Amino acid sequence: MSILSIRNLKVDYATQDGTVQAVDGVSLDVAEGQHLGLIGESGCGKTTLLKAIVQVLPRNGRIVGGEIIFKGADLLKMSRAEMRQLRWREIATIPQASMDSLNPVQRVGKQLTKLLRVRGGYDKRSAKRRAVDLFDLVGLDSERLSHYPHEFSGGMKQRAVIAMALALEPSLLIADEPVTALDVIVQHQILEVLRRLEEELNLTVMLITHDISVVAQVCDSVAVMYAGRIVEQAAAEPFFASPAHPYSLGLQQAFPNLARPRDELVSIEGYPPDLREPPTGCRFAERCPFVQDACHSDDPQLQQVGVGRYAACLRSGEMDALRQQAEDPALWQRVEVAQNSPPTLNPSPKMREGLFLPPVEEPASHAPLASSCRKELGDEGEKPLLELRDVSKRFKVGGGLAGLLRGDKEQTVYAVNNISFRLRRGESLGLAGESGCGKSTTGKLLVKLLDASDGEIDFDGQDLMTMDGENLLGFRRRAQLMFQNPFEALNPRFTLYRSLTEPLIIHGWTDDDERLERVVETLDRVNLRPAEVFLDKYPHQLSGGQLQRVVLARALVLQPDFLVADEPVSMLDVSVRAGILNTTRRLASELGLATVYISHDLSLLQYTCDRIAIMYLGEIVEIGPSQQIISNPQHPYTQALIAAVPVPDPTIENPPLRIREGVPRPTEQFIGCPFSQRCPEAMQACLDIRPPQVRDEDGRITLCHLYGEHSASPKLTSDTPIQVG
Amino acid sequence: MQQEAMVRGELRGKEKVQFRQGSALRQLWEANLEVFQRDKLALLGLFIFVFFTLVAVFAPVIAPNDPLTPQKNANGDWIKDAEPFWMAEPGEDEAEGYVNNFLLGTTNIGRDIFSQLVYGSRAALLVGFSAAIAVAVIGTVVGLLAGYYGGRIDTLLMRAADVAFGIPFIPFIIVISAFFDPSIWNVVLAMAALLWRDSSRVIRSQVLVIKEQSFVSAAKVSGASELRIIFVYIAPSILPLSFLYGTLAIAWAILTEASVSFLGFSDPETISWGYMLQDAFNSLALSREAYYWIVPPGLCIMLTVMAGFFIGRGYEEVLFPRLRRM
Repeated sequence: MSILSIRNLKVDYATQDGTVQAVDGVSLDVAEGQHLGLIGESGCGKTTLLKAIVQVLPRNGRIVGGEIIFKGADLLKMSRAEMRQLRWREIATIPQASMDSLNPVQRVGKQLTKLLRVRGGYDKRSAKRRAVDLFDLVGLDSERLSHYPHEFSGGMKQRAVIAMALALEPSLLIADEPVTALDVIVQHQILEVLRRLEEELNLTVMLITHDISVVAQVCDSVAVMYAGRIVEQAAAEPFFASPAHPYSLGLQQAFPNLARPRDELVSIEGYPPDLREPPTGCRFAERCPFVQDACHSDDPQLQQVGVGRYAACLRSGEMDALRQQAEDPALWQRVEVAQNSPPTLNPSPKMREGLFLPPVEEPASHAPLASSCRKELGDEGEKPLLELRDVSKRFKVGGGLAGLLRGDKEQTVYAVNNISFRLRRGESLGLAGESGCGKSTTGKLLVKLLDASDGEIDFDGQDLMTMDGENLLGFRRRAQLMFQNPFEALNPRFTLYRSLTEPLIIHGWTDDDERLERVVETLDRVNLRPAEVFLDKYPHQLSGGQLQRVVLARALVLQPDFLVADEPVSMLDVSVRAGILNTTRRLASELGLATVYISHDLSLLQYTCDRIAIMYLGEIVEIGPSQQIISNPQHPYTQALIAAVPVPDPTIENPPLRIREGVPRPTEQFIGCPFSQRCPEAMQACLDIRPPQVRDEDGRITLCHLYGEHSASPKLTSDTPIQVG
Repeated sequence: MQQEAMVRGELRGKEKVQFRQGSALRQLWEANLEVFQRDKLALLGLFIFVFFTLVAVFAPVIAPNDPLTPQKNANGDWIKDAEPFWMAEPGEDEAEGYVNNFLLGTTNIGRDIFSQLVYGSRAALLVGFSAAIAVAVIGTVVGLLAGYYGGRIDTLLMRAADVAFGIPFIPFIIVISAFFDPSIWNVVLAMAALLWRDSSRVIRSQVLVIKEQSFVSAAKVSGASELRIIFVYIAPSILPLSFLYGTLAIAWAILTEASVSFLGFSDPETISWGYMLQDAFNSLALSREAYYWIVPPGLCIMLTVMAGFFIGRGYEEVLFPRLRRM
């Protein structure tokens, strides 16, 4: 029996440029006890659907049709007061970025008991008891009730928010991206909490996310949304085993998967249609590799395609064959074109045609990543391009006049601590770790945006510290950086042409024609074609994926030898991530570029890197070839990180984690191992003696006592379950 | 593919021309043009400025009489408090022995009000523009240096701004007027000495935001020098703020000059709209309901001040592409 049933729901947003049909005829049933995952890329109407259910649409949003039946009553016919009674008590929501929704000037326990007393009718004492129970339920120490939100870590806040959502025992919980901004370990633990709650409380959950691996881990059924419609609905296992809609196929293959590494990821090129004037045919037709003529004219309806499976595709009958073809990333490959905004060069009809070119083949098989980069550290024959020896970076915080007045002592933050590694030409290295582990600082040190406090960084035999004048300019030509947020990485006041020529001008290219040629060539390389269309656009006219390609182009325009990519795709939609990664990886191997990828996402690093270095509190705790690190991690921290990555496959369940969440602030230098506080394997020696660098036959170096001479030291921790806080 | 090549070949010729001309100056010109194409109020503001500038430049041609010399009738007496010819009763002027051709009448000592109004635009625009330039330039440079370099330079400049904030404005001008001869330059000097405080603060904070954005790091990584970063990357982004504070300063300066003149600390030899108001006030024009004397200078002050705000607003909208609706 379904607890929530949505029938043909339509939601419009009135905007200055017309009416956007954000949700267009969605029908959906959620059964009691069901855990439904709603997935899709941003802007496809997921959040609007949620807001429509609890009727908290923004002012310009309007429900124009359909019904929402909750437990037999139509929510749309309810008065405001009735609806108010329903929210939280019957339908609880965890909105996006809800961690920030805690009141910063009130103790968390107070906020919880207030809710219980005002909305739940508890008296003072029972509210307190209930609050303790709730904290217990989400794995928080009840002492934490008397703390303020700023004393909580991100994961703890999220737990507290979940506790609040569950406080009044709702029958339906709707969570909007509950783990999106969290570190992988915290994410894992929150998902575990959700999973446990589903079982213990028999909750009905609707989980909205763009991350299909999250859905695989906590949901038993899946609905895929695209351009305001549900395009597929199925139980989780068959869905992940054999998706029945091309869009789901693409999404699934766009995700790097630690368990099943792929040579090339699929990228769904293009953008969702403009919902002010939705296309008459299938909405996915523009981006679909299996598109036929009929798709542009006939609008497919959601039809049953199997037991409990629905899909909206004209070719759903041939899905088995299509699924086979979809394995080939080249099929999905298209050229990035400037769609939404017409080119400003007064395009001739011919050029307009040029906008919709047939797919240009991107060489999909780049398999032989220059053989040199597969060589390992042990091989000392070749001179490294980059060598770090005992590099440290310290920051001073809290000092100065203001600190003196507040009584704050000056503290030293050890952001990077004695790291050493080498990078060969053409090799790619991944830096991974939780936020606050010093990976971004390392990236800045590598391109001399910051200077190291100690140690040496040699770039092609020259010390970065002493570099100046001509040498420095030479280094600036050869080392480039790619940024996390493409929306900030380009000067909003420059046309793309200007942005891309700037580096050339700085490096003394005086000839206009040569510059233009190089810029066009580079844009072409990063698959922005026809390049000319992009030249006089401003950054705000492009989509995130296109922008990130421009950022890559700017990094490559000087034809550098070395590229640092700091979280290159974390701000982008899943569907375009793979495209950027593929292009970056292909170009790096074509141009013989040494690359350092910085990311918290190990599956991404496994996909792009020859070697991976795991950082913790400013130290590299393990470094070695990607495959070995992923398949056989040695350091307990690496093991935890890998175990925490959700796998987009419901048949593989993540093992429970044995480490605490939250990275301590690196304000002290440890005598022993920095990880000893959180390590499940911690031994006496870990507290007192610096861990040794243990090197194995693969060339992997692990910084851990488990593999050194003190491996027999007595163990510290007992195996009590971990409680946070 | 063939088609693509064709398309591109055709394009290349076209767009080369286009980008040759894409110099910084041209961009600035186009941006300026855009301000007035998009925003009709800004265009109105510009018209007002252009109008008053023309009036100021051609004042001797436009003004029928000298603004300071009392007009005399046939007997050699001052033509006091003549009403504008379109208000005066017919025949009155002939009885008094003169021909009433005064568009806005005369003052209590027989000066031609219309001529004063025309000459007054000179003072207003002189004060307005020089103060605006001083405020925009000083504020921008101070803000850029303090924001970009930080540390000691920042502390030094911002404490100086604190001092400037501590000095009350009008009394400061009065003190200056006491030291120097009364002149409209006192107002310009005082504005330049004090009013950079607001613009530099705001610009500094904006610089702090911009310099942390990754496009600035990107410039650094590709080898741009500090000067290039400041002037090519950061300065254009804060230029609209400079313009904004500049146009506001025009308004402020004209208002201040009027206030100072009204308080009687201005040069009696220079006619300004504020001086005219003071003159009218002192000679009890209000009680005589001589609105022809009071309203025109008031209206002129209002118009120029408004024009400043209109243009400032237009700049704000156009020079921040992100604020634009797409």
